[in-house]
Amino acid sequence: MARYTAVLLLLLTAGCASAPVPGAAQPPVVATQPATPTPAPKPAATPARPATPPAAPRVAAPGATATPPVVAPRTPATPPVAVPPAAAAPLDLDALEAQLRATKAIGVFTKISLKNQVDDLMKQFRDHYEGKTKRTMTELRRSYDLLIMKVLSLVQDDDHMLASAIVSSREAIWGLLSDQNKFANL
Amino acid sequence: MNQRTSVLALTLVVLTLFAVPSSAQDEEALKKDLTAVIALQGMPCGQVVAAVEQAEMDYAVSCADGNLYRVYLNAAGRVVVETRK
Repeated sequence: MARYTAVLLLLLTAGCASAPVPGAAQPPVVATQPATPTPAPKPAATPARPATPPAAPRVAAPGATATPPVVAPRTPATPPVAVPPAAAAPLDLDALEAQLRATKAIGVFTKISLKNQVDDLMKQFRDHYEGKTKRTMTELRRSYDLLIMKVLSLVQDDDHMLASAIVSSREAIWGLLSDQNKFANL
Repeated sequence: MNQRTSVLALTLVVLTLFAVPSSAQDEEALKKDLTAVIALQGMPCGQVVAAVEQAEMDYAVSCADGNLYRVYLNAAGRVVVETRK
């Protein structure tokens, strides 16, 4: 019976061991954020890169002596090729919304608060297009960028995938908001 | 019978040990959530150190910098952060 007790204890403690792992995996994400403000025009596809480069060195290091020379030249060539397809696909508003709703990186209050701010921003755009406000498109862009940064700062540490998706879609979403016709169809 | 009892007791002890951190984690998550909300509204706080539930989606919050707030969801579906004394 004492054996069962020991086994039971082991099983229970083993379950706990998995908890710290996600925390340890988070720090690298922080390094990704600086890329967020920088990509203004099309570097939206960059989020795909951060995942690739770290992976490449890892493969190269443990690899056999013959392999590294082959892998090294390929790595710099691959990212530029991979960028265009990633840039074409990113915008899926429904998926992004679903991801935001589902993420555990932010709490319920924060999600509602963010939604409030998104609604406020949408109203500002509506007012702008209806001529009800003197806000310029530059000011709206600033508000939009700030809101995106708020969301990213909340999400980047605990939900790397979502943060990447937001960064990738940032310019595309702006494209929808800043075009009166596209905005009307939202 | 004696061994069964001891196993049961041990299991209960272990389960209790695991249950306590779980509720503590929930509380930490709530504090983090409230901290984020207060920051999003641009109010000074630093970090939420205590949160007391007054009603559903309605909390009395104490911040590390001494500020006290009421954070709640109003009828219009907006999260409101009010200073309280």
